[in-house]
Amino acid sequence: MERSEKNVSRNSVIFALVYGATYLPAALLLKHQMVSKPLSLVIAIVPIATFAFYILKLIRAFSVMDEVKQRVQLEAVVIGFSLTAMLVMLLFLLELCGVSNPGWFGYGHLVGYCWIFYFIGWFISKKKYGV
Amino acid sequence: MKNTIKVERAKKNWTQADLAKEIGISRQGLNSIETGKFIPSTVLALRMAKAFNTTVEVLFQLDDKEQ
Repeated sequence: MERSEKNVSRNSVIFALVYGATYLPAALLLKHQMVSKPLSLVIAIVPIATFAFYILKLIRAFSVMDEVKQRVQLEAVVIGFSLTAMLVMLLFLLELCGVSNPGWFGYGHLVGYCWIFYFIGWFISKKKYGV
Repeated sequence: MKNTIKVERAKKNWTQADLAKEIGISRQGLNSIETGKFIPSTVLALRMAKAFNTTVEVLFQLDDKEQ
C-alpha cells in the first residue's frame, strides 16, 4: 500500500514536471510570436493537455493518501482557491475604479499566483496538523 | 477530544512507525492524531482499536467541554 502511494505520488510529480516543461517553452514561443498562427494554436493546446493529465494523476495521488494528508491537501486547495478568487474579485473591482496594472496581473500571472496561493495553503495546513 | 494512543502504544512497546504501519497511515499522520491535532475517521479509529485489541472508547474520549 505504501509502495503504491509512493508510485502514484512520483507519477504526479513527473507529470507536474512534464507540464512545466511544456508550459514555459510554449509561453515563451507564443509571447515572442516565433511561430505561425496555426502552429501557435497547437502549441497553446499542448500545455493544457499536459496540465489535464497532471490533474488526473494528482487526483489519483490524493485518493491513495492517508486521511491526514488528504485533509492537508483539501485545506491547501480551499485556501489556494479562496485567495485566487479574492485576487480576481479585487482586480475586477480595481479595474472598475480605473486602477489596474495588466503588467503584473495578466492571465499568465494569475496562473502563477494561483500556484503560490496553493503552496501558501499547503504550508499553513502542514503546520496546523504537524505533518 | 483526548486519546490514550501513547499509553496503549507504550503497553505494546510499539513505536509510532510500528503502529502507523499496522494501521496503514504515515508516521507523521499518526503523530498528528496522537497529539490531538487531527481527529481520525471512524474506520481508522476502529482499525487502531483492533490493532491494540481494545475498543474505540478506551482509545478516544470526549473532553469535559465536549460532553
